[in-house]
Amino acid sequence: MTAATAPSRTPARGALYAGNTRAVIARGLLATRSTNYLVVLSGFFEPVFYLLSLGIGFGALVGSVQTSTGQEVPYAAFIAPALLAVSAMNGAVYDSTWNVFFKLNHSKLYQGMLTTSLGPLDVALGEIFLALLRGAMYAVGFMVVMQVFGLNLAWTALLALPAVLLIAFGFASIGMAITSYMKTFQQIEWVTFIMLPMFLFSATFYPITVYPEPIQWLIQALPLWHGVELVRGLTTGALSGMMLVHIGYFLVMIAIGIVFTTNRLRALFLK
Amino acid sequence: MTSLDTTQGLERDDARRAVQGGAAPRRFGAWYVAEHRLLAMKGYAGDALFQSLGNPLIYLFALGVGLASLVPQGVGGVTYLQFVAPALMATAAMTVAANETSYPILSGFKWNPIFFGINASPIAPGQIVSGMFIQIALRALVTVAIYFGVIVLFGAITSPLGGLAILVATLTGMAIGTVIASYTSTIVDDKGQMAMLQRFGITPLFLFSGTFFPLEQLPILLQPIGWVSPLWHGTELGRVLTYGHVEPLWLSVTHVGYLAGLVVVGLWATRRHFARRLNK
Repeated sequence: MTAATAPSRTPARGALYAGNTRAVIARGLLATRSTNYLVVLSGFFEPVFYLLSLGIGFGALVGSVQTSTGQEVPYAAFIAPALLAVSAMNGAVYDSTWNVFFKLNHSKLYQGMLTTSLGPLDVALGEIFLALLRGAMYAVGFMVVMQVFGLNLAWTALLALPAVLLIAFGFASIGMAITSYMKTFQQIEWVTFIMLPMFLFSATFYPITVYPEPIQWLIQALPLWHGVELVRGLTTGALSGMMLVHIGYFLVMIAIGIVFTTNRLRALFLK
Repeated sequence: MTSLDTTQGLERDDARRAVQGGAAPRRFGAWYVAEHRLLAMKGYAGDALFQSLGNPLIYLFALGVGLASLVPQGVGGVTYLQFVAPALMATAAMTVAANETSYPILSGFKWNPIFFGINASPIAPGQIVSGMFIQIALRALVTVAIYFGVIVLFGAITSPLGGLAILVATLTGMAIGTVIASYTSTIVDDKGQMAMLQRFGITPLFLFSGTFFPLEQLPILLQPIGWVSPLWHGTELGRVLTYGHVEPLWLSVTHVGYLAGLVVVGLWATRRHFARRLNK
């Protein structure tokens, strides 16, 4: 190898990552100041409303439900962890589709960022961090509500917080990767449309065992089911080896999402 | 008008024809607007139809099969599916009406100010509002009718009066839509009001209107949400029609009166806001 080789065709690692993710984060926090923070805070109420309605109202009809580990728990304690996982998914997907799409195609924010020394990985990580920060805020609020209603059945419930962040991370990174391929707002509505059955069928409101086996396999292939089972196991205190599978699922999801997003941002802006 | 009569020759002829040409829109303006809006739906007709069919299938399967498995004893003497079906129909109408009266109205004044465009023609603001609601009512009606068809296939309609529930659900949607429109037509700057409307209006209505369980299951403090909720009135009436839910006659009359009253008040207020804003 001689010292004076032509620039390599694939950009070196330095072009992907400048190690300055915090600049992206700082910009995001600064931008939050000019948005209506009441709207942002109001996102906290959605899962709480669901918990009040279904947990109390429907729960009065149901009584207790059996979890996948065979434990009998009050209905409210059954759905609360599921709502926590769902809100992690919703928040992450919303942020990484609608918001990212707007910044990508309309305000051209990423284009601007990438003309500086920032690399696509800085941008992707920064955006995901911001989404997680918001998710953590909601999750802490909801966990307090769960504690007040007596729905955290074991000390392991504390671990639900990092679990929720892992779930949000997984959905945010995949969401960003998918959004980078989108051309119109209408395509995003399909994401919402796919999330509806996932939301309803992933053992969120009733045990997965009500379905025939092939449908159960299909549901178990989807990420939300892993998220719900993971959080539910932690808040009800039923730890099992399956949790490692759930965690592994999200780790793989995160890795795939980040690789795709980074490559796409590079392909879009650093030709 | 008198100045038109005194214009001479060609100009006078043009003016006369212009006035004549405006006669039909002045009279049937609402239908012109409705026609325009129905034609504009072509752009997303496929998606709208797909969702009108996909949503009931998903919800009926999730609730009628899934949630129902948790209440094998049923609710109030009927299966859970029968209980929840009329609520889902009314909710579908509410969703259509709420979607059509939130961002699209804001947009019609602000980002794509088509209301001002129509208002520059012989069509009056009140007619724009009427035309808009003709189209929304039709869309809600079609959505609810599809829902009804799917529910019939699931075997959840047991009363011969069941078909009337389509009209009740549509009326429920209109009651909510006209009230939302009276609010959104006053919004000048978008500060996230639509998100707040969804979170503190539509979602609580959906969850606390006795849709998934009888209203009486809620703590007494939360029950008043149901009493003022058009969705509760529409759902209860739907239950009377689809499976013969028993309630006193005065209560059924109250349901109809309340919903119709909201439509009248909502329409009146929306027309007023439109007129004030367009004729400024």
